Amino acid sequence: MKKYIFLFFGILFGFILSRAGATTYDFYAKLFLFEDLQLLWVIATAAAVGMIGVAVLKNLKARSILDGQPLSFEGKPYTKSLIVGSLIFGLGWGFASACPGTALVMLGEGKLGALFTIIGIGLGTYLFGMRESRGHGA
Amino acid sequence: MTEVIVWSGWVGGLAVGAYALFQFAMSGKHLGVSTGFGNFCSYISKLSFFHKGDYEQPNNWRLWFIIGLPLGGLLAALTSPGEIALSFSLGAMYDQVLPQALWAKGAILLIGGVMIGYGARVAGGCTSGHAIAGLSLLNWPSLLAAAGFFAGGIVAVQLLFGF
Repeated sequence: MKKYIFLFFGILFGFILSRAGATTYDFYAKLFLFEDLQLLWVIATAAAVGMIGVAVLKNLKARSILDGQPLSFEGKPYTKSLIVGSLIFGLGWGFASACPGTALVMLGEGKLGALFTIIGIGLGTYLFGMRESRGHGA
Repeated sequence: MTEVIVWSGWVGGLAVGAYALFQFAMSGKHLGVSTGFGNFCSYISKLSFFHKGDYEQPNNWRLWFIIGLPLGGLLAALTSPGEIALSFSLGAMYDQVLPQALWAKGAILLIGGVMIGYGARVAGGCTSGHAIAGLSLLNWPSLLAAAGFFAGGIVAVQLLFGF
C-alpha cells in the first residue's frame, strides 16, 4: 500500500531536515536577527531545485511512478485569510523556533522542548477545526 | 542537548529540494506537513471539520509521513558523533532569553505551537507546503505566504531578543 511507503519517506525527510540545520534552534534566532542565513539558503536552494525539477516533470508530462496517475501541478489557492494566517504562523515560528515538520524531527533527536510545541500545534489545528465546524453549522 | 551534523545551507537545500521532487514524482503528492496534524485530531474529535475533505480517511499518507519524521530525527542523531542527550534546552541563544523555569518555557513553546498550528490552517499550509512545494510550482499565493512567515518570524525574534 502506497501510504505505508510514506513512513520511510518521513524518515528520509526528517533525516534531511536535521542535516540541513532546520532542527538546530540557534539557526532560527540567527536567521531572524540576520546573523546567519543558513535556513534561508536551505529554503531558497530547495525552491530553486524544485522549480527546475517541476518544470522538467511538467515538460515530460510525467506520471507518478508508484501509481501511474498524471501529476498535478496546481498550487494552493489564494484566500482572504492567507496573509493573516501566514503572519500568525511566522510569529509562532520565531517564538518556538520550529515549524510543524521540524518540531517532530527535534523530538526524535531528544530535544524535549518540542513536546510542548507539538502539543501546541495540535491544539492550534484543533481550534481551527472548532471554528470551521461551527461556521458550517455542525 | 543532542548535537547533530549540519551540512552547508546550499547542500541542505539541494537535499530538501531533491527530496520534495522525489516524493512528488513517486507518489504525485506535494510536500506538506501541517495538514497531517489534523489526522490526529480526527481520531480524538467528533468535529465535522476533522471528518471531511482531507480528513475523510485519516489513515492516509500524511499520517504515516509525520510518524516517520521523528524516526528520521532519531536516525540523524544516531549517525552524529555525539551522544543523544534528552534535554529541554533550546540551545545557547534561546535559553538566554526564555524563562529558566520549565513550566514558563513550556508555556511559551506551547503558545508558539498554537500559533503555528492555527496559522498554518488559516494560511493553508506551512513552510513545507507553501515555501518549498508552493515556490517550486511558482504559485504566487505561496510566495505571499512565505513572505508572511518570514515577516512574522522576524517580529517574534526581534521581540524576544529585544532589538
